Parts: sequence; C-alpha cells; structure tokens
Amino acid sequence: MARTQALPIQITTGDPRPIGRQIIDAVRMRIATGDLRPGAQLPSVRGLAQQLTINPNTVAKAYAELTAEGWLESRQGLGLYVAEPRQRLSSTERDRRMDEAIQSFVHEVIALDYPPERAMARLDKALAILGRKTA
Amino acid sequence: MNDDPVIRTIGLCKRYAGKMAIDHLDLEIGRGSIHAIVGANGAGKSTLFRILLGFLPASSGEAFILGRDCRSLTPHDRERIGFVNEEHTLPGWMSVDAVTAMQRRQYRHWNQETFDETIGHYNVVRTQKVSQLSRGERAGFNLALTLAQQPELLVFDEPTLGLDVVAKRAFLETLLYSNATRDCTVVYCSHQMEEIERVADNLIIMERGALRNMSPPDDFRARVMHWVADIPFRGPDARLVPGLLEVQRIDGLYHYLVLDQGEGFAGFLHACGARDIHHLPVSLDRAVNGFLAKHHAVPRAA
Repeated sequence: MARTQALPIQITTGDPRPIGRQIIDAVRMRIATGDLRPGAQLPSVRGLAQQLTINPNTVAKAYAELTAEGWLESRQGLGLYVAEPRQRLSSTERDRRMDEAIQSFVHEVIALDYPPERAMARLDKALAILGRKTA
Repeated sequence: MNDDPVIRTIGLCKRYAGKMAIDHLDLEIGRGSIHAIVGANGAGKSTLFRILLGFLPASSGEAFILGRDCRSLTPHDRERIGFVNEEHTLPGWMSVDAVTAMQRRQYRHWNQETFDETIGHYNVVRTQKVSQLSRGERAGFNLALTLAQQPELLVFDEPTLGLDVVAKRAFLETLLYSNATRDCTVVYCSHQMEEIERVADNLIIMERGALRNMSPPDDFRARVMHWVADIPFRGPDARLVPGLLEVQRIDGLYHYLVLDQGEGFAGFLHACGARDIHHLPVSLDRAVNGFLAKHHAVPRAA
C-alpha cells in the first residue's frame, strides 16, 4: 500500500484567498509540477488540518472540490489519492496554450542564434523524456 | 442527539440605564461545529452570555440554552454547559488542587484524563494558590476544568486573550482536535480574526445588540468587495453610494469598500464618470473591519 506523502504547503490568514482556496491551489500546483505523482496518497483530513492548525471541515471541503475536479480520487476506506491525469482543458484552450509555448520557445531560440536543425534535435531529445513519463 | 438549536433567543432585550445592550435579538445557533461571535466593544456579546447562562435577567424577550429557559437553569442543565469567562474568575485563595477536587465532586461526568492532558500544556504547579498563577496559566487551568466536566456546549468569552503564542496554539489544538471537544458545540467570542479564520465554521456578527450576520466566514467575506476608481473632479455623494461601508481617497483615486453589490457596482461607478475601474477581493479581517467600522463610534469632530 502506498504511504501517505508529505504535503509541504503553507496557508496564510489575512489573505484575500480563503484558506480552502489556498489549499486547492497548492495541491493543484504540486500535482502539475510532478511533486505529487498519480497514485500518491494525501494526508488525512484531520492530519492536514492539524498540520496547518485549521478546522478539519475546511480541509474536507477543499478535498471534495479537488475530487470533483478530477485531481484526486477516493478509494473506499483507504483515503484520497492523486488521480491519473486526464485532459482538463478544452481543445481550443489546449491549442492556444500550445501556440503560446511555441511562440515563447521560438523567440528564445532566435535570440540564441541557433540553427533550426540543431534546435529541433535538442527539442526532440527533451520531448523524449516527456514521452517516457506519460507512457 | 437532537436538532434543536443549542441557543435560541426571541426578541431579547437588555437595557442598561437608557442604553440598549441587547436590542430585540433573534438568534438561533444550531448544534455542532464552532461558532464565532464578533462585534465591536459593547456590541452586547458578554451581556448575551450572561443572560444565556442565567447570571443576568433580560429586560424583555426570551432566551433558551440547550432547550431550557435561561432564567431557570438547574444544576443538571449547568453540568451540560461549559463556560469560560474572560476574567477566568476562580477563587484566588484556594490551591489548584483544592479547586480541582471541588469541581471533580460537583460534576458527575468528570474526566480526569482530559483534565490532565489539557493542564499539561501549562506550567501549573498543583499546590500553587490560584492567585499566584499568571493570567495565561489561570486560563489554561480554567479551560482544563471546563473540558473535564465533559459539556455538550462550550461557551468562551475571549478565550485566548492574554495567552502566549504556545499556549494559544495548544488551546486551538484542544478546541479543534481533542476528543474532549469532538461532539461539542462551541460558541465563542473573539476579536482575533486570524484565529476565527482558522477555526470557525460559522461567523456571527453582532452590532449594537442586534444580529447582523450569520454565515460561514468565507460567505461573509465574499459579500464585501473593494473597488478602486479614477473619478475626475468629484466622486459621488457618499450617501448615494450603494452598500457603502468605507470610502477613502488615496493619491487622487477613490477606494470604496461595499457590501452586497456584485459586478453591478461597476455600472454605478461608470455613471459617476469613473475611468479605470478595478475591483479586488478582501481578506476576512478587512471585510469584518469595514463592516463594523461603518457604525463604529467616532469622535464628534471627526
């Protein structure tokens, strides 16, 4: 059985973002950056509440929203786990973000004065790692 | 377990020499979870607690606690209610041990384990006289006594006032995670918004003896919005601004804190000739502050 993974996140009181929102943002960020891998177990509601010195109901609501959005999945009687990634963006939004990423890459490469073939080769190599990760 | 409210008042009034401390208050607090009461000084919070606990007669109206009329509480009813007052009033001439023994005899459901666990967070020597304890130590001792009686309802008046940071954290942890408070309804008043944001399920705002808000803290925060607008010449008359809580003019820009206005407020600002309008959410502290500041006493000349 997977062991609970530490969730080193911080919350701030006096912030315009409610504490529950801060938890949601922090968990999403850690999943997006790969700090939390699919299948990793999250701290219990009570555990995270205690870690942050907040009301357990606040954690429960944040977890419920993350589950509803498909970031987490609950396994009966075992707890909450990071869900396998699935496409959360619409295809238009996905295209738009891809264009953005390519644009900024191209601008950087122009500044480096790198021949396109060599840039392509390097890019291929970099993306190969991505291929292994999602395979 | 029933669903009756733990606290209910109907048209409750308390008059002190011409001043209404409680003004036709209709309040209903449900069973379970943690309810925080905030209000400016003199909003009637402590008076309300005194009436609820039967220490003070109301001028008119009715008040019930755990379904019982507050004017005729029996020792059996009182056993079900834990009350920690602001001053932590305990007999100063008695030793800690003597007070503990007295309480243990009085409460049938006394839980020694809870007492020991709670008092363990404070450096209280049991042979010490109560009068020799510091304010924080007295608070910890009082809390331990109250939790050990295993009440259904805990009522705290400014429980963390005067506690050091370690004792305050120990108090919050007891409140949130200890077995002693698991099935308890907690009603407490405080001025510490940071603390309320962490612990409260429900935010009750009182102003001048009346109820002004009853909702989860985040819902209340969402009602208040901060707008910034560049209005050439003069801004609108403050009396005409809908939902206005607070207005400030900083570096020529108008800052409005408004209640219950939604996105529609932009239309109002446009109609006033505003350019460059921004709005931003506010913190809970700011929202409550702005809400209470509207009717807060200010010197006449200001």
